[in-house]
Amino acid sequence: MTPELGRADRAAAVRAAARSWRRAGIVDDAALAAVESAFPDDRVRAGPVFRVLLFLFTIVAASGLLGFLAVGLGSHAGALATLAAVAGVALLALTEVQVGALRRRQGGTEAATSLLGIGLLLAAAAWFLLDARSLGAAAAVPALCLLAAALAGAAAWRWGYPLYAALATAAAFVALAHLPAGRAAWIALPLAAAPALLRLSESPRLPPAHRSSAMAVLLVALGGLYLAVHAGSWEVRLVERIGGRDPGPMPQMLPASAASAASLAPLAPGHGGLPWWSAMAATALVPVLLLAGGLRRRRLPLLLAGIVAAVVSLATFQQYLRLGPAWLVLTAAGALWIAAVLGSWRWLDSGPAGERHGFTAAPLLTDARRQAALEAGVTVLTLQPAAPAAATERPFEGGGGRSGGAGATGEF
Amino acid sequence: MNPDVVLAIPALVESGALPPAAAPRLLRVARGELVSVHAELRALLYAGVLLLTAGVGLLVRQNLDRIGPVAVAAALGLAAAAALAWVARVAPPFSWQEVASPNLAFDYILLLGILLVAADLAYCEVQLGLPASQRQWHLLIVAGLAGLAAFRFDSRVAFSLALGTFAAWRGVALADAATSRAWDTAGAWRWNAIACGILFAGLGLGLAHWRRKAHFEPVAVHLGCLLALGGIAVGMEDPAWGAALLLAGAALAGVAYRTRRFPLFAYGVVAAYAGLTRLLAEISHDAALGCLWFGASSAAVIAGLLAAHRRMKEPA
Repeated sequence: MTPELGRADRAAAVRAAARSWRRAGIVDDAALAAVESAFPDDRVRAGPVFRVLLFLFTIVAASGLLGFLAVGLGSHAGALATLAAVAGVALLALTEVQVGALRRRQGGTEAATSLLGIGLLLAAAAWFLLDARSLGAAAAVPALCLLAAALAGAAAWRWGYPLYAALATAAAFVALAHLPAGRAAWIALPLAAAPALLRLSESPRLPPAHRSSAMAVLLVALGGLYLAVHAGSWEVRLVERIGGRDPGPMPQMLPASAASAASLAPLAPGHGGLPWWSAMAATALVPVLLLAGGLRRRRLPLLLAGIVAAVVSLATFQQYLRLGPAWLVLTAAGALWIAAVLGSWRWLDSGPAGERHGFTAAPLLTDARRQAALEAGVTVLTLQPAAPAAATERPFEGGGGRSGGAGATGEF
Repeated sequence: MNPDVVLAIPALVESGALPPAAAPRLLRVARGELVSVHAELRALLYAGVLLLTAGVGLLVRQNLDRIGPVAVAAALGLAAAAALAWVARVAPPFSWQEVASPNLAFDYILLLGILLVAADLAYCEVQLGLPASQRQWHLLIVAGLAGLAAFRFDSRVAFSLALGTFAAWRGVALADAATSRAWDTAGAWRWNAIACGILFAGLGLGLAHWRRKAHFEPVAVHLGCLLALGGIAVGMEDPAWGAALLLAGAALAGVAYRTRRFPLFAYGVVAAYAGLTRLLAEISHDAALGCLWFGASSAAVIAGLLAAHRRMKEPA
C-alpha cells in the first residue's frame, strides 16, 4: 500500500468518526466541517449504493467484452487461457492505475477490476496446470491454492482489501490441508499466529485497511482451527477430504449410544473413546477461548466469532449427545438465550455510568437510522408466520423462523 | 479500537473543532476502552426470538397428542400474553410521530409476542377444524395484528412483519385458489405482486405525506418497489413485460434521482437495464453480439452512474 493511500485511509477513519460524533449530537455541523477540513479527502469515492452499482456493472462490462473476444477466438483452450492471462494482467494494471494515478478508493470499479483480474489469472493458471501440463488434481489444486493465496494476499497488501486477506488465508489453509500433517497445521498455525495477528489488528503503525486485514486473517485462521478440532470434522475427516485425500465413505452421524467405534475409519476417534471425548472437549473449548479473548481484549469480532462457534458447538452436542428432543433444546435455548441477553443488558445498564468492564449497552456512536433499516430488512427477509395447514394434509407447524422472504409460503 | 482517531482527538481539541468535555469519552471509545454492544445485543435477541419460536413450532407439532390441545393453546397464550403485557407496561404513550424505544429489548419482545399469538391462533384454527380453504385468512389476521402493534408501539420491525405477512397472504390465497380450481396462476401472481407493491409504496408515501408515522415510509416504499419490480420481472418471458420493466425502472430511477433516494435509484437502474436487455434479446440471439451488448451497454451505464454520482453526491 502506498504511503499516500495509507494516509488517505487514516484521514477517512477520522472523518468517519467525526460523522458518528455528529450523529450522536456530540459535535455540531461547524465542528464536523472543521474536522473534514483538517483531514481532507484526496480520493475519489462513491457512496455504498453507487459503489455496488459500479462494481456490478464493471463486472458485467469486462465480462461482456472478454466474452466477445472469446467468441472470436473460438474454442481453442490455449488461446482462451492466453486471453484470460493477458486480460488478468491488464485488469490488475488497471486497478493499480485507478488506485494510484486516478486516486479512486471505495469506488466500486477498482474492486471489480481487481477481483476479475485475480479470477482470470487463476483461470489461466488452472488451464496451464490441468490441461497444458496434464497435472492431476492432487498436484494442481494445492499449487492453484498457493497461487490464489499469493495473488489475494498481494492484492490485500497493495490495495488494502480485508476480504482478499481473508480469501488468501482460506486458500492457504486449503493448500495446507494437502500436507500429510494438514490437520496439525490447521491447529498449530492459528495458535502460533493469533497473538501477533491480534497485535497487528490494533497497531497504530499499520493503516486501517491493513489492521482490518490482520483481523480478517485472524478470524479465518480461528475458523480453520475450530474446524480442525471440531468433533464432526474428525468424524467425517473434513480436513483430509478438503486436502484431496480419500478417507473412505462418509460415515453416518450417529449419537454416541448408537455408533460403534469399530465402524469408524482409523482417522476418526471412536465414539466414547478418549480421542472422541477430547474432540468434544476441544469443540467446547474453542468458543470459550474466543469469548474469553473477546471479553478480555474488548474486541467485538472475536466476541461474535465466539458466539457463532458456541452456537455451532451446542448444535454439535445436540447431534452427538442428544441433549433432549429438538423442540425442548430449541425452546430452552431460545428462552435461555433471550434471558441471557436481557440479563446482560440489565447488568451493563445498571453499572456506574451505564457501563461495566468497558462494555456498555448504550448505543454510543451507532448509526440508529442504518441499524433500523437493517433490522426491518432482515425481518422481512427471514420472518413470517406460516399459514396453518389442514390437519388431513400434514401436521400443524407453529409460526416463526421461516426463511424465504415476504412470499415464502406463496409465490411472490 | 481506532488508533488514528486516538491520535487525531487531541489535535482536534487543540484546534477547537472538538469540545474538550467530549474528548475523554471519545478517546475511551477510540482506544477500545469503552465498547458499545447495543447492536450486538439486539441481533442476539432477534436470534433468540427465532430459536424460541422455531422450538415452539416443533413443540406443538411433535407433542400435539401427548400434551393435549388445551394445554398447548393455554401455554402459548400465556407466553404471548406475558410478552405483550411487558410491552404494554413499558411502552410510551401513543403518538403519530416517531417515539424513542423505551429500551433495547422492546422491539424484539413485541415481535416474540406477535409470533406466539400467531402460533396460538394457527393452532386453535387447526383444533377447531377450520376448512383448509379458510386458513389463508390467518395470515391476513396476523398481518393486521402486526400492523396494529406496529402503529401502537412504533415498531418498524413489527411493521415489516405486517407487510411481509400481507404479501404472503396473497401468495397463499392464490396457491389455494390454484389448487382448488386448477388454473394457471402465473398471471394472477404477477398482478398480485404488482398490486401489493403499489399498495405498499402508496401506503408509505401516504404516511409520509400526512406525517403519520412518516418514519415507516422507507420500509413500505422499499418493499413495495421491490415487489412491484419483481412482479413485472417475473413476466419477462413476454417482451411486453420487458418493456414494462424498462419503463417502470426508468421512472423509478428518475424520481429517485430527483429526490436523492439512492437505493431506489439502484433498483430503478438495474430494473431498467434488465428490461432493455430483454427487449434487445428479441432482436438478436447472436452470442457475440450479446457479449458486445453487455460490454458496451454496461460501460455506458458506468459512465452514466459516474455522472449521476457527481450530481447526487451520495456520502461515501
